[in-house]
Amino acid sequence: MTELAGANIAARERERAQNWSRRALYVALIALVVVYSVPTFGVLLSSVQRDREISRHGLWRIPDEITLENYERALGGTNVPNYLLNSVVVTVTATAVSIAFGVLTGYVFSRLAFRGSEILYLIVVAGLFFPPQIVIIPLQQLFSRTIINDTILVLIVVHVAFGLPITTMLLRNFFSTIPGALREAAIIDGANEGQILLRVMVPLVLPALAVLATLQFTWIWNDFLWPFILIKNDAARTIMAGIVLLKGPYDKAWGLQGALSVIASLPTLLIFLFFQRYFIRGLTFGAVKG
Amino acid sequence: MKLSLKASQRLWTFAFLVVPLSLYFVVVIGPLLATAWLSLTNYTFSAFASPEFAGLVNYQRLTGDDYFHTSLYNTLIWMVAALVLPTGGGLILALLLHGRVRGANVFKSLFYLPITISMIVIAQTWQWMYQPDWGLLNTLLKTIGVEKWKVFWLSTRGLALGAIIFAWSWQQVGLSMVIFLAGLTSLPGEMLEAAQIDGANYRQSLRRIVIPLLLPSSVVVIALAVINSLRSFDLVWVLNEGGSGSSTLAVQMYRETFKSLRAGYGSAVSMVLFAIAAVIIVIYFRRVRRLEHLYD
Repeated sequence: MTELAGANIAARERERAQNWSRRALYVALIALVVVYSVPTFGVLLSSVQRDREISRHGLWRIPDEITLENYERALGGTNVPNYLLNSVVVTVTATAVSIAFGVLTGYVFSRLAFRGSEILYLIVVAGLFFPPQIVIIPLQQLFSRTIINDTILVLIVVHVAFGLPITTMLLRNFFSTIPGALREAAIIDGANEGQILLRVMVPLVLPALAVLATLQFTWIWNDFLWPFILIKNDAARTIMAGIVLLKGPYDKAWGLQGALSVIASLPTLLIFLFFQRYFIRGLTFGAVKG
Repeated sequence: MKLSLKASQRLWTFAFLVVPLSLYFVVVIGPLLATAWLSLTNYTFSAFASPEFAGLVNYQRLTGDDYFHTSLYNTLIWMVAALVLPTGGGLILALLLHGRVRGANVFKSLFYLPITISMIVIAQTWQWMYQPDWGLLNTLLKTIGVEKWKVFWLSTRGLALGAIIFAWSWQQVGLSMVIFLAGLTSLPGEMLEAAQIDGANYRQSLRRIVIPLLLPSSVVVIALAVINSLRSFDLVWVLNEGGSGSSTLAVQMYRETFKSLRAGYGSAVSMVLFAIAAVIIVIYFRRVRRLEHLYD
């Protein structure tokens, strides 16, 4: 009896200790997340203050007055709305086309293997690891000889090509999980490969398409290198290159810089908020891009 | 005439592949080979002089170029830091947030939110931390009474690279956390319970069970971190253009090529970058392809 009571007390003690350690963990986590979020908070803070205030009192304090002037200035000119529009067109088009291409190649590599297809697949997937710098010079030279030079079409072409490794890999893996019997049944019914892909396979990989859409949208929207190098014409510039360009003449326009950062981040933040599940799934599935 | 099933499949295969793969070879593989060729020439973008074969001259010059030594060294430092900061930090966050923490999802979201933000905006964010006059770090130093509080974080040799890598790690830690969390979720819970019943304490089960079983996720996290560190251009460029000894290979490639117009020499820097990436590609395919099914 006493032994049992002793065990009971020990168990209760342990539980109490666990409760305490859980509470401590909780406090530590809250502290950690607050510290972690401080830099993000700074951008918000700068976007609602006047430059005058910042240069006089510094940024990191409760502002005397909250102003939306910076946002009005950012969106008021013609540049920024135009950059945003270019970003939307490039991102949406390149995302859609790269996924469509990935459906085609992923399907072939998963179901229509031929001699040498394994090597071809490896060559495509290796592209995941290529730092884009290694193709910049020839690409720039190549585009300069075409009529699409210095237009947003260049950006779309590059993003589709560089999107192919991830879309191919992810979709190949997804297609491989679909039972082969479905395809065989369709063949017996007289369907050709085009019909099988469109009517049987694609409807079954819709979640994969959602995953890829969120990933591709985020990466393409956030890209800076390609527009920075390939676009000289201001009318074809995207928002990320635009922000960096505007930093020069507006060196001390801290508020404007803050507002631009917030505006440029909104689309990907919204995608993240609404499609978080897909986004995370994509990152953990074929995660090889940042 | 009706095509045989085999012939029809061949035709479809060709139709599916021809456009995407042509594009890939024209935009990615072709230019890669062209860069390899350019690295053996004295190309300068001149419209009047076509690239002339110069043998290994560019590579020879790399060996004696101090700026290149700094860039290479910094890139390697960055890779090592990538293994410690975001990878280690992500692992710790994942272990803390895995299990029954109330509101874990909110915490997770806040930690991986920066992954969705552009490096350009991350750079902006950290400028408000490092700004010499009123940045947060210097404001704090001033508040606690440090006399020489005005530290030039981004323009002091020895500090600049560290400051940039720290900002980068701040963004990347969420990515490692997400992948480790996925790895943890796939761990068999019974195993941990069994260990607990056998009297294993937290540290023991961590070392004997959790860490070994997280190995596949670690391979992905590490490959990612290293590859992302090779790409590091945006952040460095916006924060200090690779000045104060913070240049990386990607930054030097840009400077040589587009500032100094030495495209041949810049291509040689690119090929060094590619050589490092190639090592990782080989390691990845050797190790991860065997583990790939874990993520299916």
